[in-house]
Amino acid sequence: MTIEYLPHTADIRMKIGGSSVEELFQAGVIGMGNILKEGFCDKNKSSNIKSKIEIVALDQTCLLIDLLSEVLSTSYSEKSIFCKVLFTKFTRTKAVVEIYGTRVEGFNEEIKAVTYHEANVHKDNHGNWETLVIFDI
Amino acid sequence: MKIKKEDIHKIEDFLWEIPKTFHPKMRVPARVLASEPLLDAIMEDRSLVQLVNVASLPGIQGASLVMPDVHEGYGFPIGGVAATLYPDGAISPGGIGYDINCGVRLLTSDQKITDIKDKVEALSKELYAQIPSGMGKGGQIKLSSQEMDEVLLRGAEWAVENGYGIKDDLAFIESNGKLENADPLLVSEMAKKRGTDQLGTIGSGNHFVEVDYVEEIYEDDIAKAYGLYKGQVVVLIHTGSRGLGHQVATDYIRQIMSAMPDYNIEVPDRELACVPFNSKEGQNYYKAMCAAANYAWCNREVISWEARTAWANIFGPTVEPLKLMYDVAHNIAKVETHLADGKEVQMIVHRKGATRAFGPGFEELPENYKAVGQPVIIPGSMGTCSYVMAGAAKSHEITFGSCCHGAGRRLSRTAAKKQVNAPVLKEKLREKGIFVEAGSFKGIAEEAPIAYKDVNLVVDTVNDSGIAKKIAKLRPVAVVKG
Repeated sequence: MTIEYLPHTADIRMKIGGSSVEELFQAGVIGMGNILKEGFCDKNKSSNIKSKIEIVALDQTCLLIDLLSEVLSTSYSEKSIFCKVLFTKFTRTKAVVEIYGTRVEGFNEEIKAVTYHEANVHKDNHGNWETLVIFDI
Repeated sequence: MKIKKEDIHKIEDFLWEIPKTFHPKMRVPARVLASEPLLDAIMEDRSLVQLVNVASLPGIQGASLVMPDVHEGYGFPIGGVAATLYPDGAISPGGIGYDINCGVRLLTSDQKITDIKDKVEALSKELYAQIPSGMGKGGQIKLSSQEMDEVLLRGAEWAVENGYGIKDDLAFIESNGKLENADPLLVSEMAKKRGTDQLGTIGSGNHFVEVDYVEEIYEDDIAKAYGLYKGQVVVLIHTGSRGLGHQVATDYIRQIMSAMPDYNIEVPDRELACVPFNSKEGQNYYKAMCAAANYAWCNREVISWEARTAWANIFGPTVEPLKLMYDVAHNIAKVETHLADGKEVQMIVHRKGATRAFGPGFEELPENYKAVGQPVIIPGSMGTCSYVMAGAAKSHEITFGSCCHGAGRRLSRTAAKKQVNAPVLKEKLREKGIFVEAGSFKGIAEEAPIAYKDVNLVVDTVNDSGIAKKIAKLRPVAVVKG
């Protein structure tokens, strides 16, 4: 699993990678959690809150962005940061997942939204899955 | 797509055009309002590629436009205007942005900076104490479900009627602080939940409350009409619809993207997702956007109440309360009438990081401002200066009654953090007489002046292009940030 943060004039451009689509999605959730509070998911391995999310999307890229959007909304509504995803059902356009996280007092960064801009879930030359994700800050 | 300087033609002073022939998907030309040095700076990121993409929107009128403070966004550039034909041209949530009705308001005082200089530090601390800022901090108001629906329907009026605002303010807010088409039923429960405790909060990022003084007046008569004079202390507020607005935009971009095939619409970037304004999906989004815009106006009214409380706590309860000069949105879509090919046409004007700048004579303007034009408030970067401008008639000819909205970002947040030592910057600003109260040093570094274009160049370009006139320059003395 790889997570990199690349330059963007006003927002945050994140590049994520994984050996499977599930690992790519997990990288997205961790990468977002680490933005909400710097390094949070790298340090916090336990959890005290879980939530279930069901997503039906137009395609695999939308499935990732829509899932991250749902995780973000749940983070704000539950004042929690989620770092772990368990997949119950997972196809190219549908996901049923349980997300696990930790309640927090506040966040260091306000992510307004997870955008579709530049997102494209695909395999790289080595057969690993990757995409960019732009967060509106 | 690569845009080279030779692809861009100067069509008049400060106005540049990428012709419709540049790309087969363009329905209209793409235009840039800028001086040549600013145009060169704009070409350093992907703003113009995004502008060309906007020119492909169904029903777009005249030209897709960017202001001199433009920078790269995600789909639409930030600092852009797109007007589509009413009623069946496109409405695109991305053309408004996730922070629906992000905007600014300016409150004026009857105090001069020379008289209150020794109380500025105490005032900055009191503003920080009264106005919740930063992430995860809720406000003093917890809305019930019924109260939330009333806020979404009535905007700033709700704050006034519930003791968090002043009735006289309403006439000095764009659209009187309430869009009539709002429908709370079209705002999701998640959006409402996120907004329950966020009224009266500024959030983080580039949002702030700032105390300034009027350093310079450029047009005496108009400044007088706005109630501004040299040396006067004023309070500037910049924020929007908070998590509620972000959620409305997220919900509807997803819905509209799914609906596009029903209308045979394809866009070059998913963040340009759009449907006809008069379609069911278009109307649902528009009514939800109006509700979120109302929440934002209510939010800025409640923040003003908090600022007025801080003001009274420092200067005493008998001091004249802060008076609203004007409140204007810079992320919104409105149905307006403008010129297209010399004819007056009704349009859906999308402003994303662009301020309405109506010239003299418009019906909606407050009586005191009808003869001089609408105040346009342009916040600069932290520690530099901000401006009050007046909308001018030419804005209707070339920018659909719009103007810039700030200095415009030039450095990424990461680059700013690498280049700026926040504690040192805070101390340097203090030495210059600017007190900064912020939730974190990270926020100070990311919003350092070095991260932004020179607001003076942006404002001079707008002034010289004729779409708005410089009226007053504001110099900060205290900044409250998340």
